[in-house]
Amino acid sequence: MFKEMQSLANAQMTDASPHKVAGFYPYADNGGTLAAIAGDGFVVIGGDTRLTTGYQIYSREASKLTKLTDKTIIGSCGCWCDSLTFTKGLHIRLQYYLYENNKPISTNATAQLVSNMLYQKRFFPYYVSTIVAGLDADNQGAVYSYDPVGSTERHRYRAQGTAGSLIQPFLDCVLGRGNQTAPEPEKLTKEQAMIYLKDAFMSAAEREIGCGDFLQIMIVTPQGVEEERFKLRKD
Amino acid sequence: MFLTRSEYDRGVNTFSPEGRLFQVEYAIEAIKLGTTAIGIATLEGVILAVEKRVTSPLMEPATTEKIAEIDAHIGCACSGLMADSRTLVDRARVEAQNHWFLYNENMSVESVTQSVSNLAIQFGDSDSDGNAMSRPFGVAILFAGCDEDGPQLFYMDPSGTYVQCDAKAIGSGCEGAQQALQEAYSKSLSLTAALKVLLTILKQVMEEKLNSSNVEVAIITPAAGYRMLSKEEIENAIKEIPA
Amino acid sequence: MALQELLQLEKHASFGLKSVDDVELSEEIEELNSEKLTQLPITPFTMNKNVQLRDSNTGRHIHINMEKGTTTLAFKYQGGVVIAVDSRATGGDFIFSGSVKKIIEINKYLLGTMAGGAADCSYWHRSLTVRCRMYELRNKERISVAAASKLLANILYNYKGMGLSMGTMIIGWDKRGPGLYYVDDSGSRYSGDLFSAGSGSPFAFGVVDTHWKYDMTDEEAYELGRRAVYQATYRDAASGGIVRVYGMKPTGWVKISEQDCKVLHYKYADEKMV
Repeated sequence: MFKEMQSLANAQMTDASPHKVAGFYPYADNGGTLAAIAGDGFVVIGGDTRLTTGYQIYSREASKLTKLTDKTIIGSCGCWCDSLTFTKGLHIRLQYYLYENNKPISTNATAQLVSNMLYQKRFFPYYVSTIVAGLDADNQGAVYSYDPVGSTERHRYRAQGTAGSLIQPFLDCVLGRGNQTAPEPEKLTKEQAMIYLKDAFMSAAEREIGCGDFLQIMIVTPQGVEEERFKLRKD
Repeated sequence: MFLTRSEYDRGVNTFSPEGRLFQVEYAIEAIKLGTTAIGIATLEGVILAVEKRVTSPLMEPATTEKIAEIDAHIGCACSGLMADSRTLVDRARVEAQNHWFLYNENMSVESVTQSVSNLAIQFGDSDSDGNAMSRPFGVAILFAGCDEDGPQLFYMDPSGTYVQCDAKAIGSGCEGAQQALQEAYSKSLSLTAALKVLLTILKQVMEEKLNSSNVEVAIITPAAGYRMLSKEEIENAIKEIPA
Repeated sequence: MALQELLQLEKHASFGLKSVDDVELSEEIEELNSEKLTQLPITPFTMNKNVQLRDSNTGRHIHINMEKGTTTLAFKYQGGVVIAVDSRATGGDFIFSGSVKKIIEINKYLLGTMAGGAADCSYWHRSLTVRCRMYELRNKERISVAAASKLLANILYNYKGMGLSMGTMIIGWDKRGPGLYYVDDSGSRYSGDLFSAGSGSPFAFGVVDTHWKYDMTDEEAYELGRRAVYQATYRDAASGGIVRVYGMKPTGWVKISEQDCKVLHYKYADEKMV
């Protein structure tokens, strides 16, 4: 495999003709959308289960969320094969962590590890959007988002993926409330966060072809992780 | 005592018929030639104290360092071949920093100890990538620190074996000191009381007269982390102990 | 693995993965734990700009949206160094974040600023933090600003031409007093009194060049930094969010202010009216 690639790369370097710039096609965009909302004592993360290539739907049952520990969930979408490989590698790393440190990894440590693992492939990135959602040491909800090469920030809420740019403004409106003059709403409850999440995906499925079929939600509380499925448009 | 061992003590790779690795045992013996180092873990923090052998008035006592900072929350005290301890201390620092880099959290005292023991056990390992020593390290180390499980003290010997302790003495005076520690130690010891105990025991086992330039003391607390006591602080503490 | 040895391929040849099977994947991952965190796997096409990464299905070019777009600014004056930055991260036209921390706190006496690829900056500053801390532990004294910036420049020089994107200031205080260096992805490193990096820097430069005086008071200096970044956020669409101002003093860095551009905008508008 390496030799083929090397010769391909060499061919590129020696090819004088500007017309024949052969591409290297390592990536696929399989779509998918993720969103997470954190609150006091909980965090909810949702991902649609549609897997596409262009206009074609590969699967309606592809879960983009993975439970890492009782307190931490990772959502990963974009190039599906990269998502799978990355999550698998992460699982192995977490096992190492467990054996070396005799304790399950915290959400905050996972968040940093994910960033470092993404950056390790800086020169041939995983083509993925990632969200890590979980409870921190004080049982506060934490949402970390990542670009493909591991730039990360902690947020209260975050949307990523194909419909990320549709959902994020909605969450900004109902949760961020930047520049709004209306009085502050009551403290966000888990139930209200679930409603926002479902509303967001329902609406995104109306306008975005890569988003649909089912919304898989994982709810993390100090008691553990619950899972819920919510139907979305299938067209 | 060692007469019967002559056939099987040439290499670290060969067990004797009784199932012993003599070179490793000799390395453990080497520690007993080293200066005394004592650590006490209390609920308030951990204290490390070591004797510095000032063999000549022409020697600069400050250049022998037997207590080293691993990270802001961990320190260690060494006894034995100090040159060997450099390698181990540096490994501990690198591992602690790498852990922070990877996970954005402080490495636990046990994990640091384990990572150093991984290096200590590599002696004679011809398969390793060239970093392995051909003999065991001739040092024993006390790792003291405060992590999320509170103040902790670990002891590691040249074979790479490590164990958690409430109080531990290593080096030439270790037998007497360990005995004295067992009598003086209680879980509820305060930090100041522990310091007193430590210096009293050190005074008993040291050949030279205890003063502020032939002893090093470091205190690791959850709030302030690793801190080396200044000469004045040690002087004041020495005044407190019974003459 | 055996085949790989037979062919004598380099360790990192196949995309940094030695093989696709699990055992070896785990070996690769284990390496993260060693001292090799600063040695990133290089791919055969890293150095070849003609090879374009494309979507396997549509053949479209893949543009990996890396967060970019910035105004960062640092200048010296009689009291030390002022550092001022915005907080917007954009990927294409989308604002990825309005609350990025573009001043990276390396330690109590060292700051770095972030312009270019956000991941590049935060990763290498993090690695610099480790190196500075190791220096401190090994030598029992703080690293100088000159040495710290040189460490970073050396790393970046090693990856020159491979597509890193960084324009960063290293600001600190050491035995020689205040230090200010500019380091970028080509491996260059300059010492100077005033630097600005990012898409909004021309506007920030304009403001600082006009009003800068060496013997400004602390307050005047902080306000000049704040004003310069505000003006840049006003004129540069890729800059915005929160204007953060830090100062570097003999006792280490201090956080001076973090204000939303919106607040500053109306404050400055009101001042104009008077």
